[in-house]
Amino acid sequence: MQYYNFGERSGRYIGRSQKYDIYASSITKITEIPDEFEIKNSGEIYFNYGPSAGGLRESVNFKLLTPGESIRDVVINPEYKQRDIKILGDDVARALLKVERINGFHGASNSIAYILAVEDALNIENSELNKMRIVELELERIRSNIDVIKGLCESAGFAVPEKQLLYLREEVARIISRAFSHRYYFSANGIGSIRGDFSTIKLNGIEKKFRDIYDGLLSSKIFLDRIQENGIVKNEQSTGPAARAAGFKFDARKDSKSLDYGHFIPITETGGDSFSRFVVRAEEIFASISIIDSYNIKNAETGKKKDASGSGEGTARIESPAGDIFYYVNIENGKLMDIQTVSPTYLNLRLFRQALKNNNIFTDFFFVWESFGIWISELEVNFI
Amino acid sequence: MNWFINGVKNRIKTQGLEDYTVEQPSFLQGTSNYECPTNALENGRWIMNKCIFCRECDLTATGKQNTFTVNSEIQDMFKKSLYLYPIDSGTCGACNVEFTTLFSPQYDTNRFKIFMSNTPRHADALVVMGVYTRGMEKILKEAYEAMPAPKVVIGIGACALSGGIIGTSAMEKYDIEVAGCPPTPASIIKAIIKARGVK
Repeated sequence: MQYYNFGERSGRYIGRSQKYDIYASSITKITEIPDEFEIKNSGEIYFNYGPSAGGLRESVNFKLLTPGESIRDVVINPEYKQRDIKILGDDVARALLKVERINGFHGASNSIAYILAVEDALNIENSELNKMRIVELELERIRSNIDVIKGLCESAGFAVPEKQLLYLREEVARIISRAFSHRYYFSANGIGSIRGDFSTIKLNGIEKKFRDIYDGLLSSKIFLDRIQENGIVKNEQSTGPAARAAGFKFDARKDSKSLDYGHFIPITETGGDSFSRFVVRAEEIFASISIIDSYNIKNAETGKKKDASGSGEGTARIESPAGDIFYYVNIENGKLMDIQTVSPTYLNLRLFRQALKNNNIFTDFFFVWESFGIWISELEVNFI
Repeated sequence: MNWFINGVKNRIKTQGLEDYTVEQPSFLQGTSNYECPTNALENGRWIMNKCIFCRECDLTATGKQNTFTVNSEIQDMFKKSLYLYPIDSGTCGACNVEFTTLFSPQYDTNRFKIFMSNTPRHADALVVMGVYTRGMEKILKEAYEAMPAPKVVIGIGACALSGGIIGTSAMEKYDIEVAGCPPTPASIIKAIIKARGVK
């Protein structure tokens, strides 16, 4: 375990795994801080939305405390779709098939973070794959950020840019599919290896088309009115684009040693509102394209699967499109004895609640929700 | 920015269902003695609904986007329009995204008179995605019961059909089964078109 140790808090808060609180470079016991909810006053109701309803891509339930139009508080229940995943005792390589399905849309982030933790545990040399893994992650970030901005357009009823972004999302999926033979990177990554043809990755068309849509959205007063000064949240316990939109330079690409990005400068905004999160997501698309282009990988040696029959403890933390993803593994003779994960959804759900409570009305709900790019699937897993 | 004019100027040509093929998931052929983690190989023969297309066995991908089974042809009345209500029983998110891709300009599923409904009350078909989860069992049942008869149940993805590598299947029986992990949009559309018996 090169980069983490069990002990006192060290560095910024990353989130909570099944058994531990995780900080930037330490793993600690859980410190329970109970959520405090607003008291329901006379005349107020809880408006129930979900777990299955139009407008919700995943199953999640919201109880919105409201006197009529404003939202005073929200109780979020993400547990409806909690999956029990039987993974303990599995061979570490075979467990990867389950790990990459924790969040399929961020399959590269989850599989690469898990693999890096395994390689850390078993002291497997992996530096030759560093740039290729970064390309995978950045390509995934481009698709994910396009999807978040598409969601904002959908919330605003902007059908034309929404469909144009849906088109771009599918085009990126096809680039991923051509390079890795799977649209979600499933089975593309292995312990010490990658199955991919990086020479097929060309993003010129995507960059130009996205630039046109982005410029159009930035010049649309109706769109900007809907997302500016809406869902404001600035909290040190935050992650990913939501943190960077509030001015915090939190980014695992800069402050984690698991994957070496070299000199990396996070993109930040200061507003902390849905607009700032939109701008950070959009600018990060260009930054990701720039990283991929600068690496210009053509004929890469993608390695052969390494022997994973050893024992040890390992960790890894990388920047997924929504924020920090952390994995801890404990391996005995090639079998997975413990696995702990922190997904960005843990902090993002808390931030979403704080943002929604902050002087918003019902019609703001979807803009705030979509601006965080939350995936319930990666939070609601129970390893058995 | 006038988005209407922008949309007309930057129009996107919707493609045919055979215009784009992918290697995985697609129909697999051959036999293999690989010890499959999802038991998708029985006596070397491929069982489509259990397969997660992990590429570890010796089966060969054909590129054909027809990884589906139609168990019962659907009512004539749905040939003019079919409204789908998606429900996430316990997915990883990939099936959810592929489902929304049906309505992307590349596929434009509306051209086949297939639409999305925001409530099961107005839906003709329930589209089930993901593995069985305790929390969604009752919700799934309520959604099915809320739909007006006649109704269709479509299972998409290895998780919904067999539990895949994660768990157990969300429902016992489906009218239309679309295999894949996740299935491609083309496979889903083709399955519905075949079940409707119209071109």
